[in-house]
Amino acid sequence: MVHLDAGHNLARWLTRDASDAEDVVQDACLRAMKYMGTLHAQDGRAWFLTIVRRAFYDWLARNRPALLARDDESAFESLADEADNPEQALMHKTERLALAEAVAALPLPFREVIVLRELEDLSYKEIARIADIPVGTVMSRLSRARRLLQGAAALRGFDSTGAGGDA
Amino acid sequence: MNCDEVSALLAAEVDGEVDPLRSHALRKHAAGCTGCGARLEAIAETRRRLRSELPYHAARAAFRVRLAASLSTASPVRAAKAGRWRWFGGGLAAGVLASGLVWVTSTAGLQAPFGADLPTRLVGLHTRATLGNHLIEVASPDRHTIKPWLSARLDYAIPVVDAAGAGYALMGARIDRLDGRAVAVLVYRHRTHIIDVFVRPASGGTATAGSTVRGFNVAQAEGAAMQWLAASDLNADELAVFVTALAQGRLGE
Repeated sequence: MVHLDAGHNLARWLTRDASDAEDVVQDACLRAMKYMGTLHAQDGRAWFLTIVRRAFYDWLARNRPALLARDDESAFESLADEADNPEQALMHKTERLALAEAVAALPLPFREVIVLRELEDLSYKEIARIADIPVGTVMSRLSRARRLLQGAAALRGFDSTGAGGDA
Repeated sequence: MNCDEVSALLAAEVDGEVDPLRSHALRKHAAGCTGCGARLEAIAETRRRLRSELPYHAARAAFRVRLAASLSTASPVRAAKAGRWRWFGGGLAAGVLASGLVWVTSTAGLQAPFGADLPTRLVGLHTRATLGNHLIEVASPDRHTIKPWLSARLDYAIPVVDAAGAGYALMGARIDRLDGRAVAVLVYRHRTHIIDVFVRPASGGTATAGSTVRGFNVAQAEGAAMQWLAASDLNADELAVFVTALAQGRLGE
């Protein structure tokens, strides 16, 4: 199947677990077969990624309902209340992580747009359709996600040059 | 543009999502403003690093095998509720809705008459093959491997050519069921497009013009006493030219 890798990659980043990702992809494939007869798919990859994403959120609601409640954008917004600077609050959590780990640590609404944009190279419009959000929201989430990751990346670079060492 | 306007658009600029006019104004501002220029470069750098450092998790081979097995035993279900998918463009024509049963037709091996729904059935077989990982049963670019493999499973023999020279690389073949009988399917790749070519003895029936079903194109030609039916997401024009050349033996070697 042509877009299996793309679907698997998205599921793997969303679930952060190899075997959970495979469960999600398998469910998505069954759904794709179901819908195939009625679809007018212009782009098979965006279509399949939409199904994978839906399968993931259903899986999350079934298996990790607590996580779903916590890991949404409002949770992220609440970081702003905890610190003067929301970026700093999350950066604190991610500063010691490699870039990939920092992405994995992002709240879901930010993680999914980053994966769709940087790994699948989809346009804002395509991402908006897949994630079912307005294009403006895609833009603002990507922008904030990158700022967070920039912080993580910059600190890591600082560490690796050894310039930060007064140890 | 001032710094506020620019900073709202920096990320979109890096993603190539700003229209040329505003992009020009933005670049001009960033060239003369150290703050905005540095931020633009920082976002571009983050993007470069994300793209080079993030692992891409392709599906494992073992999982592919397991998935293919589970999908082939899954029963096809008639799809319902298409409304929410309308954004895929064009809406849903009544004929497309009716094609929801295409899976039942193809998997239950029902004898369907050769009719106007042939393109729909071909697209159904094509999409099902690509989705279920059953696209290719004998994978080889070598026609001397494919031809005997097909001959052993069919009651007719077909010409097999690799058209890699023309940009259409032969990937392999499979057997599919069409109108109640086993037919040869040659699988070609052109750029990123997969093309299924169903080949069966010409029946002298009415030739159907090319058509489009759910974004997939179907084209057909006759040649070498065979009917050649191609289904792919390749554009209609190229597909028609390819299948005609293939049927008339003008490709390969």
